[in-house]
Amino acid sequence: MRHRMAAAALALVGLLVSAYLLLYKLGLVGTLKCVGSGGCERVNTSRYATLLGLPVAAYGVAGYVVLLAVALYGLREDQASLPQATRWLAALAALGVLFSLYLLALELFVIHAVCLWCSVSGLVIVAIFVVSAAALAKASPAP
Amino acid sequence: MAEAGRSVKRFYLLLGVIAVAGIALIVRAATSGPGAPLVIADCGGPPLGGVPAAGQALGPDTAPVQITEYADFECPSCARFAILTMPDVQQRLIPTGKLRWQFMDFPLQQHVNSPLAHVAAACGADQGRFWEMEYALYDHQDDWFADQRPERKFLAYARAVGLNPDSFQVCLTQRRHWPTIEANRCTGEKLGVNGTPTVYVNGRALSYTPAFDDLTRIVDSVAAAARGPASTRRR
Repeated sequence: MRHRMAAAALALVGLLVSAYLLLYKLGLVGTLKCVGSGGCERVNTSRYATLLGLPVAAYGVAGYVVLLAVALYGLREDQASLPQATRWLAALAALGVLFSLYLLALELFVIHAVCLWCSVSGLVIVAIFVVSAAALAKASPAP
Repeated sequence: MAEAGRSVKRFYLLLGVIAVAGIALIVRAATSGPGAPLVIADCGGPPLGGVPAAGQALGPDTAPVQITEYADFECPSCARFAILTMPDVQQRLIPTGKLRWQFMDFPLQQHVNSPLAHVAAACGADQGRFWEMEYALYDHQDDWFADQRPERKFLAYARAVGLNPDSFQVCLTQRRHWPTIEANRCTGEKLGVNGTPTVYVNGRALSYTPAFDDLTRIVDSVAAAARGPASTRRR
């Protein structure tokens, strides 16, 4: 149960961060609060901040909404002893980690700027994966 | 089981607190002022960091007619002048080689978005598109002058005139050219500029905003006078 609570709390934090980036992309936040010299703005105004016609932050929002929903679903009494929710969390978070690595590579090697909020989101998704994978490993019967 | 239920309820409460705090932070970020505020300094006060004045110029340094325009991007008269007169100046007077036109920033105290608009134009100059950006800002003046967050519109104009949006955004966010803009304004203030646009022809202020015909007449007569009496007689 605790790992699903942790995953839900982390997914909520990730959702808030992604929502902030999405609001900026939609023009509803004037400038991003960031550290350093404009890395957040530079990354989020680059052409890589849009994927298949949608802001990358929108994929983040959607992903974290799904993770939050799965984690909360896993907290239901009838799901507490079943492993499915944790499996889904680990699988979805693994996809998120891969996507975050792709975005980090773009920041480091293509855009040459690092966005603080994108990094926070990356750390959150890694944490969700670690928590879920650790819970799965613990639950698996020893060979 | 009851203990587990209480634990989940406490957790939902914690989630609610995180959600409320996060939403409050986002709302605060969305409604607080964009970036560092630009305050127009008192030119009579302490020195403004020793940054020299530097306007944007068209035409050769050696042109016999040197016109300096002090303008404010939020001033309607400046917009009319930039839209109705400046294109002709650029296309018909500058190529004669007789005229050097210098734009000097003079954002007025009462125009809230003007300082950032001047920064936007200066950021355009970084990429060699000052005049395109100047025209875009004046052309869309009605769209941004009352906007609480004009940055997005400035970014859209930057894209429209072909600027690299990433570099422009960084420049605008850092308010990169504000000290120079202030130095330009203070130079005008020392000269006695108290309204915009104010146009100086070889250092002498015109008492009116010239139309293109006025400028043509002024440039021709001043250039002829500069060539000397002989050339004037030949006419």
